[in-house]
Amino acid sequence: MDDRNDHGSESSGSGSHTGQSQSGTRTRIGLDVGTSKVVSARGDNVSPTTDSQLNAFFDVPYSALHEQGLKANRTPFYREDDRLIVYGDASEKFAHIFNANVRRPMAKGILNPHEPQATHVLETVLGTLVPVSRNPGELLAFSVPAAAPETGHELTYHEETIKRYLKGRGYTPLAVNEGLAVVLAELAKEGFTGIGISCGGGMCNVAISYLSIPSLTMSLAHGGDFIDSSVGAVVNEPATRVKAIKEETLDLTREAGDKIDKALHIYYDKLIESLVDELGKAVQKTPKLPRNDQPMPIVLAGGTSKPNGFRDRFEKALRRRSWPFQVGDVRMASDPLTATARGALVAALAER
Amino acid sequence: MTAAARGSPTERYRRERPPVSRECGDELTRITDDIDDPIVKLRYLQNALNQKDDKSALVQLVPIPPARRAWYRLKGLRALDAVADANEEIAERTLAARQTARRVVVGASAAAMLFVPVLVAIVAWQVNRWRSEPEQVVSVGSSTEANASAIESTTATLVVPPTTTATLNSPASAEEAPVNQPPVAEPLAAEDIGIVPSMLWVADRGPGWELYSNGLRIETSYTVKGTPRDYRVQTRDGKLLPTKFDRPIGILFHTSESDLWPLEPGYEQELRKGSAALLRFVQREQAYNYMIDRFGRVYRIVDDDSRANHAGHGVWSRGDEVYLDLNSAFLGVSFESRWEGGRTLPITRAQLIAGRNLTHYLRQRFAIAPEMCVTHGLASVSPKRGLIGYHLDWARGFPFQAFGLPDLYSQPLPSVVLFGFNYDSEFLRTMGERWPGLIAAEKQLADEARQRAISLDELRHERQAQYRRWRAALPTPAGPEPALETPASQTADKRG
Repeated sequence: MDDRNDHGSESSGSGSHTGQSQSGTRTRIGLDVGTSKVVSARGDNVSPTTDSQLNAFFDVPYSALHEQGLKANRTPFYREDDRLIVYGDASEKFAHIFNANVRRPMAKGILNPHEPQATHVLETVLGTLVPVSRNPGELLAFSVPAAAPETGHELTYHEETIKRYLKGRGYTPLAVNEGLAVVLAELAKEGFTGIGISCGGGMCNVAISYLSIPSLTMSLAHGGDFIDSSVGAVVNEPATRVKAIKEETLDLTREAGDKIDKALHIYYDKLIESLVDELGKAVQKTPKLPRNDQPMPIVLAGGTSKPNGFRDRFEKALRRRSWPFQVGDVRMASDPLTATARGALVAALAER
Repeated sequence: MTAAARGSPTERYRRERPPVSRECGDELTRITDDIDDPIVKLRYLQNALNQKDDKSALVQLVPIPPARRAWYRLKGLRALDAVADANEEIAERTLAARQTARRVVVGASAAAMLFVPVLVAIVAWQVNRWRSEPEQVVSVGSSTEANASAIESTTATLVVPPTTTATLNSPASAEEAPVNQPPVAEPLAAEDIGIVPSMLWVADRGPGWELYSNGLRIETSYTVKGTPRDYRVQTRDGKLLPTKFDRPIGILFHTSESDLWPLEPGYEQELRKGSAALLRFVQREQAYNYMIDRFGRVYRIVDDDSRANHAGHGVWSRGDEVYLDLNSAFLGVSFESRWEGGRTLPITRAQLIAGRNLTHYLRQRFAIAPEMCVTHGLASVSPKRGLIGYHLDWARGFPFQAFGLPDLYSQPLPSVVLFGFNYDSEFLRTMGERWPGLIAAEKQLADEARQRAISLDELRHERQAQYRRWRAALPTPAGPEPALETPASQTADKRG
């Protein structure tokens, strides 16, 4: 990144958020590479240390004054020709200032094919969370979405790009299905048997796991971004602003208030219905469902599942349908934002 | 688990894989229940499920469930060794459990060694018996002389139920002498091409199979003899007919509720072994009279003269007659398939053709009326809860038309009309909607309640009390049992 004159916060592998990173100590990492956020977890599985970075960027025209200002505010950025690329958490602040939308290196769970900056920004964001490994070949487990009809070969490209980057930083990468990672993080007591659902920014991922074996994985190429952009379109507001309102005030247990709130309720219901429908179809098609007499617990994770009332609405939609297995309790992950990364860490720690 | 199904180390957390068998899963769950550390638990499971010395396929061949479970336990415990080194408690438990499991395996092996000579002797005896039997023919025609001779040979103790015609009151006839019976089965669906013989007879037979003139081949190597059929029939006015019947009056269609492997090249072994394990299971449980696998092979399991444990507390009725002991009164024919996601998974074309030929044959042989060819989902009830749909196999989607049978989904459901059985929200959630026959039955019941100026609940209550009285009046084994939710005849494994 030197050639691009990066003024970022690349992780050094030490410091308060790195947990057991003393020289010679094996430090495995779990990484949730999400459309909206990249989250890392490291340390042990009981009290892992987590860190996150917005997987987004915002570019402003180059000027010496701008550059000076970014440096003075310690804002992570790099220069690309005549543009200054602000990335990570800071990008959202800039988008608000300019009343515009951030740009995303990923869309629908994979590298955004329409974004020329995608690979470089993603690697830069990853670099803020993943230090160069001190033990060459150290294991790092990262999340990948399940293949969707519209993400066939692109998923392979996405996965290989991340793998190559991580190998370059001295790790042995291990891909973990995103839904399964939720199961690994939250359903240890149930013998890793149940359904993990991760509702992220770009997509929703589901895995039905039996004793840690993924017997069905599926994804829906809609997530929080779909809600933000749909609501933004109908209320004529930038998606970034809708996202901020959604994260700060949305409560699905209450009656919808203003226009934005109403639209958010509508599109949340739409997302939940689509997710349950797609899961129903996938379950009908698969011959691989486990024959298990015990009720299958369901865990919801991901930023899109965070609003109060999401769980209740999802459970209602779920129980309206019939399923070829007993549906157990539907619960939220202990920390929905970090569940996938923590699950990936469990997978990394379990490997010899 | 096959080698192909095992995940490679880099793919195991992301690629879909077929789940392990229920027994293996149960054992692994049991062993891991006490492991608190998620990392140790996951490491153990992954070791157990990805072992290189893949013997799971062999385990499936072990016919004795305790031995099979013990094998899985040993296999699972070996995997535990790999993670036990860091945990003394686990290491100790592993050792103790393995010793117990070894004892079970040794015991089972010894029992098997004693059992083999006995089995060989029985097989030899059966083969000799088969060779000494005269060639029997079941034929269908219109010879009145033959019918007359059949009538003459009727005995007092063996009679068919009253729904059959007088000329057919000769249950022994089909077994003991060639009998010509009028064809009662409808011709096959119009779109079928090719010649259909007007008569049905045994065209050929050999050790372990019989071939019929309509192309039906019945594999008989799994056939066992069960308890002879013995049942009585009630009339709608509550009279228990004095006659005991010992010939089937109907057919009840089931699904096996078993694992289904994809019908694709590469799954041959799993498909074969899955069917073989299923056949052994239904033979041991005497679960059905006939079983049709996914390639359309028809297996006779419990011989036609014996009751199979297939119907539980089924209820069916035709005209004035009411049948409460369907295990005795009906032949159980099961398709290798299962109820899933609110429907029966589609059967294969081969199963459909074989099922149709078998139905044709059985209807000819036992003079079974078309409206007595019913599905389990339509007849099944839970007496204790007063609900229909205790089992749901073929509760919708049975191809009645393709079998040349009337659509019984549109006929008022006897269990509702006669005995006021109800359904709950769980049933509706599963089924999605009521079928026309259920709606018609409820309407009949409601109309009657209105005419008698009582509430529907009161009428249901009265009818269910009637059901219990009628049931109590029946001789065992169908006898008084509404208090029993899962009697011997109603399997606990939710098989169809």
